[in-house]
Amino acid sequence: MAGISQSELPIRNNPDLESFDIVTVYHKLLADDPELTMPVAAIEALIEALSQSSAKTVFETMDLIKTQSAKLRGAVRNPIALTHGTDLFQQYLVLSLKQPGPDGKETSSHENFEVVRQHLMRNGRLFAQRAKQAREQIAAVGRPYIRDDDVRGGDGYFTVLTHGGSRVVGTLLGRAAESVAGDSARRFKVIHVMSEARHAESNRVVAALRAKGVPVATIPESAAAYAISKTHLVHMVLVGAEAVTANGGIISRMGTYQLAQLAKAHNKNFYVAAEQHKFGKTFPLNQFDLGFDQEMLDFHASKTQEGERKNAKHPIEDPVDYTPPELITSFFSDSGVLTPTAVAKQIIDLMY
Amino acid sequence: MSTAQDGSLPEAIPEQAGKPDHAQAPQTNDKNTKTDATETSKPAKLSGAELKAKAKAEKAARRAQVKASKEVAKGEAAVSSAPGQLGPSAGEVKGSKAKGKQDGGATTTSGAAGRPVVSKGPVSVTPSEPKLTIPECFSHLTMAKRIPITQADKDVHPTVLALGQQMATFTIDESITRLKATLLAFKKVIDSYTTPPGNTLARHLTPHVLNPQIDYLTACRPMCFSMGNAIRWLKLQVSKIDPDVPESDAKKQLCGGIDTFIQERISMADLVITEKAAEKIQDSDVILTFGRSSIVERALIHARLINGKKFSVIVLDDPYDRKGQTLAKNLTAEGIRVTYCGDLGGLGYNLQDATSILVSAESMFNNGSMYAPSGTCDIAIAAKQLGISVIVLCETINITERVATDSLTYNEIDPERSSGESLRLLYDTTPDKYLSLVISELGSVQPTSVPDLLRKLEESN
Repeated sequence: MAGISQSELPIRNNPDLESFDIVTVYHKLLADDPELTMPVAAIEALIEALSQSSAKTVFETMDLIKTQSAKLRGAVRNPIALTHGTDLFQQYLVLSLKQPGPDGKETSSHENFEVVRQHLMRNGRLFAQRAKQAREQIAAVGRPYIRDDDVRGGDGYFTVLTHGGSRVVGTLLGRAAESVAGDSARRFKVIHVMSEARHAESNRVVAALRAKGVPVATIPESAAAYAISKTHLVHMVLVGAEAVTANGGIISRMGTYQLAQLAKAHNKNFYVAAEQHKFGKTFPLNQFDLGFDQEMLDFHASKTQEGERKNAKHPIEDPVDYTPPELITSFFSDSGVLTPTAVAKQIIDLMY
Repeated sequence: MSTAQDGSLPEAIPEQAGKPDHAQAPQTNDKNTKTDATETSKPAKLSGAELKAKAKAEKAARRAQVKASKEVAKGEAAVSSAPGQLGPSAGEVKGSKAKGKQDGGATTTSGAAGRPVVSKGPVSVTPSEPKLTIPECFSHLTMAKRIPITQADKDVHPTVLALGQQMATFTIDESITRLKATLLAFKKVIDSYTTPPGNTLARHLTPHVLNPQIDYLTACRPMCFSMGNAIRWLKLQVSKIDPDVPESDAKKQLCGGIDTFIQERISMADLVITEKAAEKIQDSDVILTFGRSSIVERALIHARLINGKKFSVIVLDDPYDRKGQTLAKNLTAEGIRVTYCGDLGGLGYNLQDATSILVSAESMFNNGSMYAPSGTCDIAIAAKQLGISVIVLCETINITERVATDSLTYNEIDPERSSGESLRLLYDTTPDKYLSLVISELGSVQPTSVPDLLRKLEESN
């Protein structure tokens, strides 16, 4: 279709974007702001691309968004999270163009398009701001679930088991340890499952919590089952997510799936803290149906030399796994506490 | 006619003829030869009448029993009551008591088996004659029926007449194909329609023209859910037409609407679903499917030819209609490795190799259950047990707002392969917990999100 229109209609393919490289912009955005998540970085990169281009019509704009999104997807190994971002942005554009313009005129009129465009240009950073606000909202939503020792009157502190370096989880736990407007600080303990591959990150998270006065125990990943099995020791498992799938499951740091399995096996609540912009249309059927190969399984015998192996696998830098909705108790999101089914419904409302 | 035979031959054949003839009865049914049929029916009635007289003399209670069975079997009372009476009187007549009891126990079935023997003589020799009795508990289920064109309502359009025959004979079988054919036929009906003077199209077309067509099609074969959905839509479109619009414009508007409907809800939907399903197929996958569904076939071929995936397919077939053979042939022709199994006998074995199951739904219920050719549920349950995902392909037009938790609330009786002894149901219902993914043109969702799709559709309309 694009081919026909290019030859017959005076529509330029990538208007004035020769010098613009969306992939560099995306990586720069992520590097500059450690608080930025992948979907939001993708959205910001797209807005950047829009402002650089001279697209004048709806068709040109949508085409630009599509090609730039595809470029971005092609440049990373695990495109799920950023695809959720670009999909959301596309959906947002379509919806705002469908809505009647400020003068209540015909939908997707030229003026309306210009208004939307100008709005996007001027408020380019709005997405990032909202995303950071969302984290605070989630902290407020999840706060009642972190119970204070006194409430239980039990033999020990309320204990949360967590892993990884999720910024949402960090904010949630950090805020719970502070007193907020008449609500005193929660007294609770944290068991942090240390990641062998990303020790520095784990150390940073643990140090931040300890600085707030939260007692933290660190355990290796191999001790997760050991720690989780003790009755009245671990009360909840709380993890973050890279992306939330259409059925209410999550794509998250490798190791989340086994924590979820353990939580289920020991009847512990398994909560996920994730912003709404991570929701997307991905629908994996199993661990190996993510749409890309993580090359985690590399079979070889010691006889063959490392250098000689032709088809040696290159495992992905940040491996992820898929946790199905059956293992998740609830989501803490910026639109409230949602069951996986409610998440699925919201995704259908949002994206389909 | 049968009473005349009864009257003319009471004493011609002695009692001994009755005994071997009863043993022969089932065989002669199969042979379907006219002479045999009349011969067996005569002595059957003969002995029946004779025994009836004896029983009358013996016990009043037995007489009541005869009356009861007479009421049940109505017209063919003589035939159906005869074996029933043989039981009690067998001891008196001869020693074959066991045989008599067997017959007596199965009064209704043997009566039903005997029925075509009688009806065959006078009416016709067509095998399509419904020769089964449907038990009370299945009486709510419907069945396709071949209606001679001459018996159809005079208002039925020739195109619809032909379509009805094709549906009754299962030449057009799949839900989506039936839907498309129906809509195209209705386009012809609307095209050839002229509003009679003093009427408006919006008020006249539906009750006087469309309804007879629909009634006829339903009589030929019960409507599938997609047809119900589309017809409801069409009637709404007709009722929306402004009475001031000239007839030719209104007709053009309706036909254009139908074209768009077919384009959006069938053609494009199929295209999108085919692509999405093909995306789910990866290299070295083993896809298992059941019977033949055109959309599954297209998805598999798309994955092979367009996406260039190398995978193999296991085709499990419905032993009753063997459409999977066509699928296997078509896939093999495209260079896909196919394992074919004629029935569900080796289900567990075949499932061991499968990586996913790909089936298409005849319909999806609002609670996420799937209505599909009978046998699908068995496969889904077995697959769930082995942790194999079951992918369902379904156009949104096939989604119904009804709910089913069992296979008997909605179903259809197979007219071709049901007999007096047993009947075969065409469909079964698979609960949502055995399904992993529903691929529709709106997107891929979990089965429990099917009502959300419906809601989404309503919102967009």
